[in-house]
Amino acid sequence: MDNNKNKTVKNFIIKVEEVSKTFHTKGRKPVVALKQVTLQVEEGEVLVIIGPSGSGKSTLLRTLNGLETVDAGHIWIDNVDITRKETNLNQIRQKVGMVFQQFNLFEHKTALANLTLPQTAVLKTSSGKAEATAMALLNKVGLEGMERSYPSQLSGGQQQRVAIARSLVMKPQIMLFDEVTSALDPEAVRGILELMESLAHQGMTMVVVTHEMGFARRAGDRIIFMDGGEILEEGTPQIFFDNPQHPRAQFFLSQVL
Amino acid sequence: MSETILITAPLLMKGLWLTIKISMWTVALGSFLGFVIGLIRASRMKILKAALGVYIHCLRGTPFLVQLYLIYFVLPATGVEWLKFEAFPAAVIALSLYTSTYVSEIVRAGIEAVPKGQVEAARALGMSKWQTLGHVILPQALKLMIPPMTGVYVLIIKGTSVVSVIGITELLRAGEQAALRYPSELMTLYGLVALLYFVYCYPVLRLGRWAETKFGRIENSL
Repeated sequence: MDNNKNKTVKNFIIKVEEVSKTFHTKGRKPVVALKQVTLQVEEGEVLVIIGPSGSGKSTLLRTLNGLETVDAGHIWIDNVDITRKETNLNQIRQKVGMVFQQFNLFEHKTALANLTLPQTAVLKTSSGKAEATAMALLNKVGLEGMERSYPSQLSGGQQQRVAIARSLVMKPQIMLFDEVTSALDPEAVRGILELMESLAHQGMTMVVVTHEMGFARRAGDRIIFMDGGEILEEGTPQIFFDNPQHPRAQFFLSQVL
Repeated sequence: MSETILITAPLLMKGLWLTIKISMWTVALGSFLGFVIGLIRASRMKILKAALGVYIHCLRGTPFLVQLYLIYFVLPATGVEWLKFEAFPAAVIALSLYTSTYVSEIVRAGIEAVPKGQVEAARALGMSKWQTLGHVILPQALKLMIPPMTGVYVLIIKGTSVVSVIGITELLRAGEQAALRYPSELMTLYGLVALLYFVYCYPVLRLGRWAETKFGRIENSL
C-alpha cells in the first residue's frame, strides 16, 4: 500500500477543500459540524471515516453528493466543483451512489421496482433493459427470488442488500456508505460487510462511515478519525489502529476496541 | 303515504340531481385547488406559503354562510361585471374555496408524513425534484390522504344543503317545498330526504374504503 507516496501523480476522484458547515436550528445553539475539512480520495481507494457520534462524519459524507450544502469551501467530484450553484447535482449524483443507515427503500415498490425506477426515470433506460439489469444485480447481492417482495416483507439485511443493489444500477464511480450496518442484527452485519468488501476488491471507490472497526482494518486503505467537525488523524489502518497519535483518537479506540 | 311519495318524487329527484351536480363540481374544483395549495404549502416557497396560510385561516375562521353571502350578495354589488354570479356558480365557487382549505391541509400533511429518507434516497440516485414528487412522494402520500379525503367529500355532499339559502332547489330545499305542500307527511318526506342523502353518501364512503385497501395493499411498516 503505497497510496501516500504517489499522491501527487494520482488522480483524485474526490477533493474536499476547507469545507465548513454549521447547522442552525431555531431556538437552539448553532452546531458546528465541519471545520475547514480538507481531504482527497483516489480512484479505487477505500476511505473509512470513524469518530464518535456528532463528530461530523455523516455530515461530511452527505456533502459529497450534495445532500448537505456547505457554508464555505469547495468539493470536486471527478473534477467538477459540486459546491458551485451552476453545477447540475442530478448529474453528479448518478456517479455517486449512497447507502443509508435506514435503507430508505421506496416502500411502495417491490425490490425489483426499486432498482428499475432510477434507471427508467434518470437514465431513461427502457423498462425491459432496466429489468434485466435489476435482476442480474439482485442475484449478485444474493436476493434471488425476492424481486417481487416489498421492503416491508424483507429483513433488515435483505433490505440493505436491495439498497446497495439499487445504488449499483446507476453504475456509480463512487459509493458512499453512511453507517449502513448500524440498524442490523449481527448476522446481517457480517453479510453486508462481506458484500462491501467484495465491492472494494472489484476496485470501487468507497467512502465509508462506520463503527465496524474490524471492517475498517480489513477493507480500508486509509482511515480518517474525526471529532468536533475536524479531521484529527489520518493514516493507514495499521498505523492508526496500532499507534494512534491524537489523545482523542486514543481515547476513542480504547472505548470501542 | 305512498301516493305523496309518488307525487313528490320528481321534485325530490330533481333536488337530488342538483345536489349531485353541485357536489361533483365542488369535489373536482375544490380538490384541484386544494391539491395545488397543498403542494405549495409542503414546498419551500416561503412567501407563497405564508400567503396561502392566511387564505386557509381566513376561510376556516369564518362561517361558510358568511362566505356564501359575500360571494352571492356582496361581490355583485361591487358593479364589476364578471363578479355578478348566478346562484349555481356562486354556490360552487363558495363551496370549492371552502373545500380547498381542507383538501390542501390533507395534501400537505400527507406529503409531510412521507419519511425524509425517501426523498433523500431518490435525490441521491439523481432523480429531479419533480421525479421524486411523482414517483416517490405522491404515491406514498396518496395512500395517507384517502381516508381523510373521503371524509371531506361526504361533508361536502351534506354541506351542499346550506346553499338552499340562496335559492337553489337542491335536495333539502326540494324536501322543504314538498313538505309545504303535504304538511301531514312531514315525517315521511324528511325521512325520504335523509335516505336520499344516505344513498348518495354511502357509495362514496365505500369507494373510499375500497381505494384505501387497493392502494394500501401492502402493510406499511413505517
